[in-house]
Amino acid sequence: MKRRQQPWVLLLASALLGACAVPSPYQKPTPPPEQPSGTPPAETRPGEPPSTTEEPQPLPAPVAREPTLGAASRALVSQAQTQVATKNYAIAASSIERALRIEPDNPLLWIELGKVRFAEGNYVQAENMGRKAVSMSVNAPRAQSSSWKLIADSFRARGKNIEAQEAQARSDSLNPG
Amino acid sequence: MALTRNTKRTILAGVGLVVGGFVIALLIWIVYLDRIVTAQFEGRRWTLPAQVFAEPLELYAGQSFGADTLEQELKRLGYRRADQAEQPGSYSRRGTRIDLVNRRFQFWDALQEPQLISIATRGNSIESMRNGRNEDVPIFRLDPLLIGSIFPIHGEDRVVVTPDEVSPLLPAALKVVEDRKFDSHNGVDFGAIARAAWVNLRAGQIEQGGSTLTQQLVKSYFLDNRRTLGRKLEEAMMAWLLEFHFDKPDLMNAYINEIYLGQDGNRAVHGFGLASQFYFGKPLAELQLHEVALLVAIVRGPSYYDPRRHADRVRARRDLVLKLMAQYKVVDESAAKEAAKRPLGIVNTGSQAGSYYPAFLDLVRRTLRRDYREEDLTEAGLKIFSTLNPLIQSQSEKSLAQELDRLDKLRKQKTPKQLEGVVVVTAPQNGEVIAMVGGRQASFDGFNRALDAKRSIGSLVKPVIYLAALETGRYSAASIVEDGPVEVKLANGKVWAPQNISEEFYGQVPLVRALAQSLNLATVHLGLEVGLPKVTNEFVALGLEKEPAQLPSVLLGALDVSPLEVAQLYNAFANGGFSTPLRAVRAVVDAEGKPLKSFALEVTPVADPVAVYQVNRMLVQVMEHGSGQAARAQIPADIVVAGKTGTSSDYRDSWFAGFSGNTLAVVWIGYDDNSPTGLTGSSGSLPVWSRLMRSIGTTSWSAPLPEGLEEKSIEFKTGLAANPGCGGEELVTIAVPTGTQLQPKPGCETSILGELGERAREWWRSVVR
Repeated sequence: MKRRQQPWVLLLASALLGACAVPSPYQKPTPPPEQPSGTPPAETRPGEPPSTTEEPQPLPAPVAREPTLGAASRALVSQAQTQVATKNYAIAASSIERALRIEPDNPLLWIELGKVRFAEGNYVQAENMGRKAVSMSVNAPRAQSSSWKLIADSFRARGKNIEAQEAQARSDSLNPG
Repeated sequence: MALTRNTKRTILAGVGLVVGGFVIALLIWIVYLDRIVTAQFEGRRWTLPAQVFAEPLELYAGQSFGADTLEQELKRLGYRRADQAEQPGSYSRRGTRIDLVNRRFQFWDALQEPQLISIATRGNSIESMRNGRNEDVPIFRLDPLLIGSIFPIHGEDRVVVTPDEVSPLLPAALKVVEDRKFDSHNGVDFGAIARAAWVNLRAGQIEQGGSTLTQQLVKSYFLDNRRTLGRKLEEAMMAWLLEFHFDKPDLMNAYINEIYLGQDGNRAVHGFGLASQFYFGKPLAELQLHEVALLVAIVRGPSYYDPRRHADRVRARRDLVLKLMAQYKVVDESAAKEAAKRPLGIVNTGSQAGSYYPAFLDLVRRTLRRDYREEDLTEAGLKIFSTLNPLIQSQSEKSLAQELDRLDKLRKQKTPKQLEGVVVVTAPQNGEVIAMVGGRQASFDGFNRALDAKRSIGSLVKPVIYLAALETGRYSAASIVEDGPVEVKLANGKVWAPQNISEEFYGQVPLVRALAQSLNLATVHLGLEVGLPKVTNEFVALGLEKEPAQLPSVLLGALDVSPLEVAQLYNAFANGGFSTPLRAVRAVVDAEGKPLKSFALEVTPVADPVAVYQVNRMLVQVMEHGSGQAARAQIPADIVVAGKTGTSSDYRDSWFAGFSGNTLAVVWIGYDDNSPTGLTGSSGSLPVWSRLMRSIGTTSWSAPLPEGLEEKSIEFKTGLAANPGCGGEELVTIAVPTGTQLQPKPGCETSILGELGERAREWWRSVVR
């Protein structure tokens, strides 16, 4: 029978692994251990051994895993930023798209692409890129905050002030720093 | 009797009139020909079909290329191995290190000059890249493969080269072999004609031609193939006119770009630029002596000397060309002998370079037809940067052809009718179409099934219905639906009473099982509960252009859709509820390299990402426990994939649509005449899909669990919450909204503590990943 993880193990692990850059992915579950054919029906088996703690402990908060950019993407993003500065929006976008082909799941790149769209005045796409980034920044409050910031800016640019305020509030709440 | 003076005078005047008339007619004729020659030659000399490039290969540290794979890729691009990489288009290898010098290439966003790149690999990946000044290179693009062009209906295709892109060996060889007096004659070489006539007379057949290069050019450029005396005169006159107006280097360059050098299905290969790509997979400038000689050998008869069909014949002639080149001191005797030892070096049409992808090019053409006139595409020399991945394209072709052969054999058809098939592959996150096969003979340029075969998609509609259901917030993957008899009274008075494929009833089943096992009746019940309008709207939201009619039969896929449209629909699932228009083109630049248009990546949220995630987790169960299970034997156990089978009524269409982390593929199999195939989605298209996914080494589908969802373990058959510890059978993990109360299996009523333990375990699992 599988032993339950002890809370201190979890805390230790969180300290050790907190720096991981990968958002929690769906992973194929490990197949359940084979039940020996002679196992008695569940009802007649003794219950689970009681946990050592009497009171239910609150779960440790999920570990934040902020995404980072790989070296190739970093180079392409900085190239794109130069291209935006010279108003070469199509070319800048194409640089970010190159990076996205390497790291399609990295929300930071979707935010960057959104910023290029914003700079060229395509606020709808800027907002959409922000939403795409939000959907990918699970457990990454900083990336989520930037995504909502992009969404807020896109709303504001279109004069949708109420929506902008809401989005801005979400951004602020995620980024207390 | 002497003629009278009057009669004499009349005859003289008559003759004068005739001669004068003849001279005038001759002059008019010459002026007429002159206008044709100069007008066509001075204006745009060739129509330049738009060139289409594959997606370029990106190199960067961490890219999963070992030294062997990298070398293979370079060879595919026609890079030549050398002791020291110095020339553009060459590379050298020492163990796990590869040095290369790239070719100069005008991308749509930058001009890439040739430079030395040293690539260190370790195991199966690139460790680091440095340039000639020993600086770190974070990312580098190789020049892309030319995959074809958009040539006009009459089929002339060419890659035009300028004189500085041509090795001096080529004109020298052409002169030696075809026209030794080229530099001095005035368009016609009477000596050569007399010599040829003599040779042919003795041989009793045409063995030698006496045409100069200029005459050959005229014939190819202005005239048809008829061999009459009149044509010969016309040809000679036009050759003379050309020589009168233009200088020799101009004419040589024209010849090099004009002459016919081979046939590839519908397309006629014209000019040495394209021939070099077509036969050797690399630019003309990089050809070596033995390769130049081979192309010159082909000139005399591209079909008779087709190196892919008559290797011995063309080899003998190539060696003759080399001998002549040595004899006339174009090259050293020793160099010619060396070259004669070399193999032909022709790339297979089945390999990357020189292959022809009519289905994909058709998509490119249709994409651009919205913005450009046909003439712009076939004449203006545009460069089109496409999204095709040649490696995945060739794997798609192979997977389809092999499985179709197997299926045809298996079924021992009495009629000679062959199954047909389609494969469409996309990159879900950016909607790029990376491969497209339009039939079992991928190089056949005809009916493009991928775009134009609108076929009934059967159960491929089901995920759309389940998504519509989940979006209402009233269902989860564990919700129970009834798989029992359905009778719907239609507007025309008839009663619609569909069946499961097994013709059985499965009773109370959870959604996850109904979808995974593709239960028709449960799905119809669900769809009717959710409401037809909500379902048909969902199709449009996900990217289907036309809303299906609101008929109950839509719930079982009575809906005619092309494979490309199916890819668009499923792309929205693979992309987490975001739609992005599928594209085959990234950018277009004009003949000078100026960017004209780019097809930017656009995303639009079209469905609730949380609902989409739950459906996707159910689609994973299709592969684990349902109709897609057979794929598991092919695809590595640690790769998570999701997908759905589809079978239309009477087994007319076999479908599979599914995705991994970085690839979405849709496969269709059926007969063109829409007759029954006896194949289900699982027995027909699924094996093609699995074979393809395995062969391209795809990555896991690994979308993060959205906030607001949690994982739960339920019994696949009953939908009751359970875990192995309490005797749960055939357990599957589903994603449900946090806090969803699931009916527990008796004996599996978990305490809060148990719940806590379960959640902690999940959390732990996600941390150790």
